[in-house]
Amino acid sequence: MRIKGLRLLLVGGVLVAATGCATGEEWQIWRSNGAHFASGDHMFFSVRNREGTKPTVTRKDITLARDQGWWGKPITVNQDQILER
Amino acid sequence: MRGSPARGALAAVAFFVAPLLGLVAAFASPEADRILPISGYTTEKGRALAKAHAPALSEMNAYIYHCVPWVETQKESIGFFKPKHVSVDDRYLAIRIFIEQDPSPAFAALDQNNRAAAMFSRYVGFLLRQMTKSPDILADPAVGGFITILEWRKQEGGSQGRPVHETIAVYVPKPLARDYLSGKATIDAVAQGARVMGWDGERALGQLNLPAWEDNFVTTFKLPNYKLDPAAKCS
Repeated sequence: MRIKGLRLLLVGGVLVAATGCATGEEWQIWRSNGAHFASGDHMFFSVRNREGTKPTVTRKDITLARDQGWWGKPITVNQDQILER
Repeated sequence: MRGSPARGALAAVAFFVAPLLGLVAAFASPEADRILPISGYTTEKGRALAKAHAPALSEMNAYIYHCVPWVETQKESIGFFKPKHVSVDDRYLAIRIFIEQDPSPAFAALDQNNRAAAMFSRYVGFLLRQMTKSPDILADPAVGGFITILEWRKQEGGSQGRPVHETIAVYVPKPLARDYLSGKATIDAVAQGARVMGWDGERALGQLNLPAWEDNFVTTFKLPNYKLDPAAKCS
């Protein structure tokens, strides 16, 4: 039961992290930190919790969101073209 | 029906422990697989360096994981590697990170060289400082230098539904890194003195000549709503 609860907590966190959009305040934070290009908000900037609750995102939430793999496997250079073990 | 004292004690323990379990689940440890295991090295020199500096590598992995959560360290990318272009067994401390950011017309409008220069400016100096937090690494004569590999998603294009990453690999010899860290050399001097290779997806772009400037974004930016693991040290 407890495990089920924890799963619900984690899945809920991921869903929350995947919804919403950046506020003007978040954009301002991004721009005011010496950015040389306005690179937009990271996917997990957009964390929105329920009205009246303090929105939070943990490192675990970010890892879980990335593990969803919604961008697909990227085309990129293999490590062995850069260095050797 | 009254419960037994033992059952009551269990309930009390559960009352206090359950929130802690939730806390443990909510936070996370950095994945150990970001560091190349000892068994992954092909020479004794590499293995010896990995053993000697294992705590420093773990500390760096944890710092990046917790304190720079918008980047992802690639698997088995932290370690003492031999640069591909070097024939002898020179060992450089390396790390490969993927930098996550949403599409931006301003960034996409830059040409490839300037995108690379922007990423170099933002991350290479920062990573050099993280890689040399332990003075033992800089003092170790077996460490020849540092490799920082940065990759980010190319905004335009894509191939068969797959995203394309742009990548730069920056090879910084130790004397140059030492000059930068001591303030004798600017980050632009590092860019001019280091070997910088570029890739567009899997296509090699060859050696790049990049301008660079100091960018303190990584140390000043705070991810909104990010709840830092209480055990993490980000100062």
